[in-house]
Amino acid sequence: MVIAVALDESAEAVRPLTNDISFPVLLDRDHLLAELYAISNVPTVVWIDEDGRIARPNSAEVGTDMFSDFTGVGPDEHFDQVREWVRFGKLPADATTEIVDLDVDELKARLAFRIAVHLRRVGDLAANDWFATAAELAPLDFTVRRAALPLQDLDPFGEQFFEFYADWKEAGRPYHGIRRR
Amino acid sequence: MRQITVLTPQQPIELEGCFVDDSVLVDRSSLSDVLGWELKPQGLCRDAECVPVTIDDLVYEDSVDLGAAAKAVGVESVLAQDAGLVALSVPSSTRSEALRGRCAPEFSLPDLAGEDHSLEQFAGRKRLLVAFASW
Repeated sequence: MVIAVALDESAEAVRPLTNDISFPVLLDRDHLLAELYAISNVPTVVWIDEDGRIARPNSAEVGTDMFSDFTGVGPDEHFDQVREWVRFGKLPADATTEIVDLDVDELKARLAFRIAVHLRRVGDLAANDWFATAAELAPLDFTVRRAALPLQDLDPFGEQFFEFYADWKEAGRPYHGIRRR
Repeated sequence: MRQITVLTPQQPIELEGCFVDDSVLVDRSSLSDVLGWELKPQGLCRDAECVPVTIDDLVYEDSVDLGAAAKAVGVESVLAQDAGLVALSVPSSTRSEALRGRCAPEFSLPDLAGEDHSLEQFAGRKRLLVAFASW
């Protein structure tokens, strides 16, 4: 089964993405999963077995071929691997990959982000200072940088995003997880 | 003393405390509510487990240095003094048990209608945990 978790502030933003979905869709407003599983970008998929063991850790997998032209990655190989796992318990070779833990700044960035969203909810303008603090601590983390854009009324496809994206690319596309390419 | 809000990984908790330099002091009786560990003569304790600490480094009269106590049990903290906020992380051991020990960390989160669901509630099935976002 699929358990989808949106790292988002509002159910309204998520609801249009969940039409005709029968599995649970949960809302993680404080980015708890980004801390617990060291998730630094979305989508990130974790395979969890019947006993609560991580069978295959964080991986950048897509559900559609919407961005295939851009990323060169489609969903099919992952879908096939999931079927093999569900039917036969067979795991791909990359399943043993060990995900690098968050460093202390990446962890503090998540806490600063949590302070920022809390302040934003109570209408405190200091929220923006804390989004900035979080960004300084984890400048290449999508869950910190890009997630903060709409919360500051900035366009997630706007100028700030493309500056961030260029920095991230320049730094070798850091990601806490397995990438297909 | 003033009202402070501690953002724990589960929920915000309000209590009395005060900021001194780069520390926040809380009443020692409230430590277990926010941190899950309480101060005993043998150290910081949770159930049968105790972490030895130097009491004099943590305690000032009836108050405890929350950040220092948290650090002693592997919990990171960030203080927002102006706003009267403290954010606490989950213990670092939880994440290392996940990343190295392959034990999927438990969580409970609301669905879009506000009803809580946990990972454990779907135990016994193979699960694909998919983190996504609208941004």
